[in-house]
Order: sequence, then C-alpha cells, then structure tokens
Amino acid sequence: MWGRQTVLCTVLVFAALVTQQSFLTRLGLPGATPDLLLVTVIALAFAYGPLTGAVVGFGAGMALDFAPSTAGPIGVAALIFMVMGFVSGAAVDPRDRNPPVLIGIIGLSCGASVIAFAAIGSILGDVRVDWEQAPTLLLTATLYGALLGLAVVPVVTILVGKITPEVVL
Amino acid sequence: MFSRRTRFVLAALFITTLTFVIMDLRGGQGPFTSFRSAMSGAVGGGEQVGSLIFSPFLGVADWWGTWGDQRDRIAVLTTENDELRLLVERSAADRARAEQLDGLLRVAGVGRYEIVPAEVIAVGPAQEFAWTVTIDAGNADGIERDMSVINGQGLVGRVQSVTKNTATVVLVVDASISVGARVAGSSEIGILSGTGRQDSLEFQMIDPGAGLDPGQSLVTFGSKRGRPYSPGIPIGEVVSVAGTAGQLTRIATIRPFADVSTLGVVGVVVRPPREDPRDSVLPDSPRPSAAATVPNIILPSPTPLASASASPSPSASAIATPAGSPAPSQEVERAATPEPATGRSN
Repeated sequence: MWGRQTVLCTVLVFAALVTQQSFLTRLGLPGATPDLLLVTVIALAFAYGPLTGAVVGFGAGMALDFAPSTAGPIGVAALIFMVMGFVSGAAVDPRDRNPPVLIGIIGLSCGASVIAFAAIGSILGDVRVDWEQAPTLLLTATLYGALLGLAVVPVVTILVGKITPEVVL
Repeated sequence: MFSRRTRFVLAALFITTLTFVIMDLRGGQGPFTSFRSAMSGAVGGGEQVGSLIFSPFLGVADWWGTWGDQRDRIAVLTTENDELRLLVERSAADRARAEQLDGLLRVAGVGRYEIVPAEVIAVGPAQEFAWTVTIDAGNADGIERDMSVINGQGLVGRVQSVTKNTATVVLVVDASISVGARVAGSSEIGILSGTGRQDSLEFQMIDPGAGLDPGQSLVTFGSKRGRPYSPGIPIGEVVSVAGTAGQLTRIATIRPFADVSTLGVVGVVVRPPREDPRDSVLPDSPRPSAAATVPNIILPSPTPLASASASPSPSASAIATPAGSPAPSQEVERAATPEPATGRSN
C-alpha cells in the first residue's frame, strides 16, 4: 500500500505543479493564481489523513519552492503546505465526509495560505509584500480554491479508491 | 493527541523547512546553492514539458485576458479614425478657404476697401440665363443693395437684392451687367458689359482713338459714393481687340480675373476707400518694390497715402494722375450715369 500511495501522491503533486506553473499562472485571471497544488495536497490529506497530508504538503511545497519561477526563500511554501495538509487531514474524519465542508475547508485554506505567505514574507523582510492587495488576493484565492476543489476532490477520491482500495473512504 | 510517530514526523519536517529557509536566506555560494540549482533544473524540465502540452490552450488565456481590452481599443480607434478623417477632409477645405480669405484680405487691404466677408451658399440655375449667387450675409451684416462684391482675384459682381441674412449677387459675367472700367496704367475708360459666358466680357472704349493691347488689365472706374462699384477693383485682362484705332467703336474681349464658377469666400465692399486706389490692387501690376509699396498703402491716414502710393506706381499712371485728374473726374460722371440705370432695370 505504501508504495502505491507514494506513487499516486507523487504523480498527482507533480501533475498539479506542472499544470499550475505552466497553465494556470499564464491564464492571467484577475486576482490570485488558482492554487491547484494546495488543493491537491488538501484533497490527498482528506483521503490519507493528517500525517500523509503533512508529508505530501512538505514535498509539494518543496517542489514549488524549487520551481524556477518561485522567487521566495526555499522552505516557505513547504512549511505552509505542510501545516495546511496536516490541519486539513486532522479536521476531517475520512469515514465522515461532508462535501460542502470539504469545499469550504479547501477555500479557507487557500485564502489562509495567501495570508501566511504574506506574513512569513514580511517577517523575513521581503519588501515585495504588498498588503494593500491582500483583500483582493484573499477573496479570489478562496473563490478559485473552492471552485478547483469541486473538480479536484472527486477526481482524487476516485483515484485513491482505485489505486489504494485499502483506504476506507 | 496525535501519535508519537506523527509528532516525530511533523517535528522533522518542520526543522527541515526551517533549515532550508535559513540556509537559503544566508545566500552565498556552497553546496546548498548547487543543490538548489539542480532541483530547479529538474522542476523546470517538468514545467517545460507542461508548457509544451498546455501551449495550445494558452491562446484561450490571451483571449480571456484581452477580449475586453480589444473591444474597447477597437471602439476607441474607430472613433479616433473617424475624427482624424474628418480633420483631414476639413483641413483641405479650410486651406482652400484660408487661401481665398488671404486673397480677399490682400485686395481689401491694398485697396483699403471696408468689406464684409461672406460665403457663397447657392448658385442660381443656369437655365434662367442669369448669373447670380446667394451669399450668407444680409441686412444684419450691413449689406445693402448695389454694393460691390469682390474676391481675392477681383470684381465678382454687385448685390442685387438683400434679405435679413442673405443677399443675391449678380455676377459680372451676367449679360445685364455693365461696369465703368479703366485701363490700368492709363486713364482710358470705357464700359464693360457681361456676355452671359463665364470667361469673357465685352469692353467698349469711350475714346475710339486710344490704343488698347491684349494683356492690359482693367480696373473698375468707380461710381458715385462707390455704388454699385467701388473704384480700383481689378476686373480682368484684355484678350483680344476687334477693330483698329480710329474706328467708330472698338470692342475688346476681356477675361475676368475672378473665376465665377469656383466662387467660395467673397467680400462685400460696405464702404469704398476715400481715395481711388488706382492700379495698386492689380495682382500683376509691375511695382518697383512690393515690400516698399504695401506698408505705404496700409498707412492709417489716407492723406500721406496719395503721395506715397503715387511714387511707386507705374510711371505712366503716376504722371497721368496729377496731370489728367480733372479730365477723368468729369468722365466719371458720364461713365457712371448710364450705369445705375441698367442696374435698376434688372
């Protein structure tokens, strides 16, 4: 089970990363970029629980940090995604899944990640953080996250059920 | 709350991220930098593949990002284009008008005519055999019957009837018109009549013995108080002369300066000059120095004008003016007397 789970998580995270960096960022949508990577991490955390969520979040954040187009210090996204994955996985009982709650958690997490990025950037002395944009980014990130969650959560649930049937959903 | 393993893993991951953050913020060269560039290369390779896969769909992104802008831009550019086209067309028309006004101002300034500028707004129908135009100035602008109408080239006609805001001008080429005219450079006078054709007038000299050659110019002789014709307005040049000197009547064909088929801006002479400008208004009159003449002409007081304008004008007229001035003034009455009669008969 562990092998298949690792492969599934790696493939999904990498696919989400590439899609986000090559496609979603270049769509030029108003406001924040739809954070497909974080949505995928949270969807996996819903399926596999907080520990796996934290590890997957750490790996996805590291990959995002190392992506050439990311300018911030390495480790920030890993820290944030790790916390998001852990909290999301802990907040939801895999045996009692309520779709509106899941979508709500995803949207709120995406909004919270915007604040977290800005806060950590400010703490680390990043002068590029523009707090005046924060409300717009927060709103759009939450909206896009919820919309992406509507599509990603069912897909991830089906894939997890097919590839690792041992996990009870 | 959580298992020991969970806590351990979380702590390890947390410490790892903080280590990365600190090492990255330290900067500088080292094993970490090369590790970072290697990892970036790996992720960047994936991004390149992704961009290959997604590039066909990015046209949608361009469309999404710009469709509102493009519609606005098209609207803005279309409006701007229309405005510019209008401006181009208008500027050509404005230039033509400005040229006509320039000519009119030159004539009015040199001859010291007080004019009211007006524009031709309608032309009488050709099947009435009358050459008339309507101008956009009338009683309200101080225009009255039997005033001279000029343009930048010379005499156009005279005012036949006036309403509040328009006036009808009978053109110099109309067959019913007759104008007292003087040959430029001499004091020979005669009566000029329209023929009904727009490019020729007939000139009948009072003195059949006087010489007249093709190429000589005619100016108006002037009527009493400048009605209907102010003095000194260029009319046209002699094209051909029929008959020889000494015959009972000598008739010359005159080509008018003003092209009556392309009239635009005209000026109505509301007050003639106090002094006859003689030949100074003629465009081609051979003046010794135009620069010296024109400032003299537009002196505010007319008293020095007579002495000033006489000296640079052609020698024939300059000598003829003081010597023959009493003689033409009697002929003025004779030449002008039959003329208003024909004017009233219209």
